Amino acid sequence: MNKTKSLSEYKRRKRIIDGIGTAIVWLFVIAALFPIAWMILTSFMTQSDIATGRIGIPNHWKNYVDMWKNVDFFNYFKNSVIVCGITTVVALGIATFAGYAVARFKFPGSGIFGAAVLATQMVPGIMFLLPLYLMFIKIQDTLGIQIINTYAGLILVYSAFYIPFSIWILRGFFAGIPKELEEAAIIDGCSGFEAFLKVILPIARIGLIATGIYIFLMAWDELLFAWVLTTSSDVATIPVGIRLYVGNYQNRYDLLMAAGCVTTLPPLMIFFGLQKQFISGMTAGAVKA
Amino acid sequence: MSKVAKGLNKKGTVKKSLLSQIKKNKLAYGLIAPALIAMFVVHLVPIVSGIWMSFLKLNQFTLKKFLRAPFIGLQNYWTVLFDPTSTIRSGFIDALRNTAIFSVICSFLVIGIGLLLAILLNRKFRFQGLARTLLMTPWVVPSFVVGLLWGFMWQQDGVINKLLVDIFHFLPEGPYWLTGPKVLIAIIIPTIWRTVPFVMLMLLAGLQQIPVDYYEAAEIDGANSWQQFRSITLPLLRSVLSIQILNGIINYIYSFNIVAMMFGHGAGFPGKYGDLLMTNINRNSFQIWQFGPGAAATVIVMICVLGLVALWYKVFQDDLVVND
Repeated sequence: MNKTKSLSEYKRRKRIIDGIGTAIVWLFVIAALFPIAWMILTSFMTQSDIATGRIGIPNHWKNYVDMWKNVDFFNYFKNSVIVCGITTVVALGIATFAGYAVARFKFPGSGIFGAAVLATQMVPGIMFLLPLYLMFIKIQDTLGIQIINTYAGLILVYSAFYIPFSIWILRGFFAGIPKELEEAAIIDGCSGFEAFLKVILPIARIGLIATGIYIFLMAWDELLFAWVLTTSSDVATIPVGIRLYVGNYQNRYDLLMAAGCVTTLPPLMIFFGLQKQFISGMTAGAVKA
Repeated sequence: MSKVAKGLNKKGTVKKSLLSQIKKNKLAYGLIAPALIAMFVVHLVPIVSGIWMSFLKLNQFTLKKFLRAPFIGLQNYWTVLFDPTSTIRSGFIDALRNTAIFSVICSFLVIGIGLLLAILLNRKFRFQGLARTLLMTPWVVPSFVVGLLWGFMWQQDGVINKLLVDIFHFLPEGPYWLTGPKVLIAIIIPTIWRTVPFVMLMLLAGLQQIPVDYYEAAEIDGANSWQQFRSITLPLLRSVLSIQILNGIINYIYSFNIVAMMFGHGAGFPGKYGDLLMTNINRNSFQIWQFGPGAAATVIVMICVLGLVALWYKVFQDDLVVND
């Protein structure tokens, strides 16, 4: 009698604790979504509503028309898509080769290479930026090759920048694929490289997608190099252009928030479209040390 | 090293075995070659020249000389660390203090909240998948948008003060979040907001690898939730946690985007109470063209980070699984 009572009491308490836990989760969901909701809401409000703090009906679609006129935002958006897209392809390609090599082969220097890959993660971006900036000026002066204010310059720097981390994620991913698969392919007459291309790459697809998403999101997010290396509006990316809505000449928070929503859209679509692949790919490679 | 020695026993000469090893691994070298070249040009060369730059007198007049600018020894380090008359020094010390406070608070809160959410999400409840997806959204917002958005929200007549004063009545009147000592709060909260989701995701993945039977066995033995957390969850999560802690240390100390965008929309000066190391160094370099002290300050920060990483390694050494 006593025992069953304590058991039901125990179950009841467990249910209450479970309920509190779930409530906490949803509170955090609200905290996570509120700023985003606010950004969307104000992007549909008029400038004067924002200034006076009156929250009217958010039906001011015109911001999404005006934001492209007030600042040549399409140009910056296009530049970001070009730079980040090419960077993703280049960095992912190079990192895939290297990640596979580090995961599969023990060769003289492989330990040092692995350590170097990790060491690059401990160096701040500005450590690269100061010398690279001066180096690029020097190259332009002496050789006449322009690097600053070109797509190629930014793509070169970004690609090289995201390679080490991508190698690290992919290495973990390739290490999880059984070696027997290539061995079988080689017995069937493939060369080592063919076995990698035809057998391993298709299996590693999810890891490649996850790493590609990661590179794209990092490049889309990059600010420091973009500010210094793209001063001309021809090649400048979104972080450079989006500042023009507010500051010295105007304070168009309505348009800024609309532009913020537009800027968030590509990463959002990529992430939610490929969420499954991203999560399983990232966690397979990155959870393990 | 041991491999070379083994080769010596078998084949006679070190040189030959090394050469044959290299020949045998032609494919591997071919595969890493592009990455190696990229890392050499954009990582190694800049780091070495950056360290060299910290010993040079590099300002707007000598900028074009680059590595041939006048050598001045440790004077840049003196300017950054000790020179009592230098405004660069006082700025650097402020930034160092702010960054230390910022990093410690962010580290604890992000790991704490991330772990709490991961544990709560690792149960069965209604709309569990939806909650996880929604909790991930802040991570998708680009950090420069985060800076602009929160800068807008923190304004004196902004939505945060509206919530605190008019709706919840926590405060009698709205404070100025973007000036004075409160600036640090205005920087920390958006950083946590954007970082927690990813940490949560990684910790959740770690939790899901812990076999459920462990908890069932503990339950039968009468262990309560706290005991289960302490003797099952925490020890088995240590390796995942350690990686996230390291990641955090590096990211917070080198954090730049949110602060730079939140203040002056890129002018990036949050005042002496909110300036971080990276915004400070960036301004000294690209606004007043003091590249020498900028490089010296960067080297100092890097040495501090390497020290912290070494400390981290000492603490978590045993938890690192090498997956070969």
